[in-house]
Amino acid sequence: MIWKEKYKIGIPTIDKQHEELFNRVADFVQAIRQEGRWEEKIEKVKDTMVFLQEYVVTHFNYEEQYQQALGYPDCEEHHNIHEAFKADIQSAAKEFADAGYHEQAVQILAGRLLAWLINHVVAADQKMAQYVTEQGLEI
Amino acid sequence: MKAEYVNPVFKAVTDVFKAMLDIEVSRGATGAVAGGNQEVDIRINVKGDVSGSILFQFPQDTTLNIVQIMSGMELKELDDFVTSAMGEISNIISGNAASYLSQLNYHCDIMPPQIAVADAVVSAHFSHKTLSIPLHTNIGDLNICISLDEMK
Repeated sequence: MIWKEKYKIGIPTIDKQHEELFNRVADFVQAIRQEGRWEEKIEKVKDTMVFLQEYVVTHFNYEEQYQQALGYPDCEEHHNIHEAFKADIQSAAKEFADAGYHEQAVQILAGRLLAWLINHVVAADQKMAQYVTEQGLEI
Repeated sequence: MKAEYVNPVFKAVTDVFKAMLDIEVSRGATGAVAGGNQEVDIRINVKGDVSGSILFQFPQDTTLNIVQIMSGMELKELDDFVTSAMGEISNIISGNAASYLSQLNYHCDIMPPQIAVADAVVSAHFSHKTLSIPLHTNIGDLNICISLDEMK
């Protein structure tokens, strides 16, 4: 389990989506790091890449719509961070499929993904939540 | 090298460790920074108004403790998953440092992390080109070598 209560930003729908995202990434990390033949883990890698390209996009869209509705001043910067992440995942998914899901490349992505996700939630998303609190806006 | 480049980097390390890991960072004693037989070295090149590099040296024990906090899993070796997570943390720290430098009117970009695992134990060294900052946390020590020159 990588989800921690301290990652909550106080906006219930977004917290729920983050928890789901963390749980799926935790499952992925656990699956690729457990004992066993790599070939048996490839299905999990494929599922996770699909999940990252679908659920993450849905979550990012929700966050961005939420920010626009609030008039959040750092909306564009946050959008750019999301776009860079989406491009990174898309390019990794293509690279994995083209190269046959090599273990080393997948382990490297998993490490980066874990650190990226934690930082994004504790930094950029917390900043957005702080704005909501400071402005006295309704969640 | 100007000492004013040090504070943005130190602030970025303390902020990122606090936010991501709930860990406090303080300046450590000058000298060797040990913890295990290997270390992870991550070099991030910087280009712009200031150019050069920031080298993060994480001893093995510190590295495993950091990635264990993030992953909730017990880790035993410096494999690709672990070193990649450390590369991303160093990337995040350097991005924040670049942002603090831009507030001092030094605008620069950071390059992707270059990751290596070395057998040597981290040893802080000083020269007119490089400033080494040994740091201490309750999950282990680390060292940061800053080598930046003004290009303006």
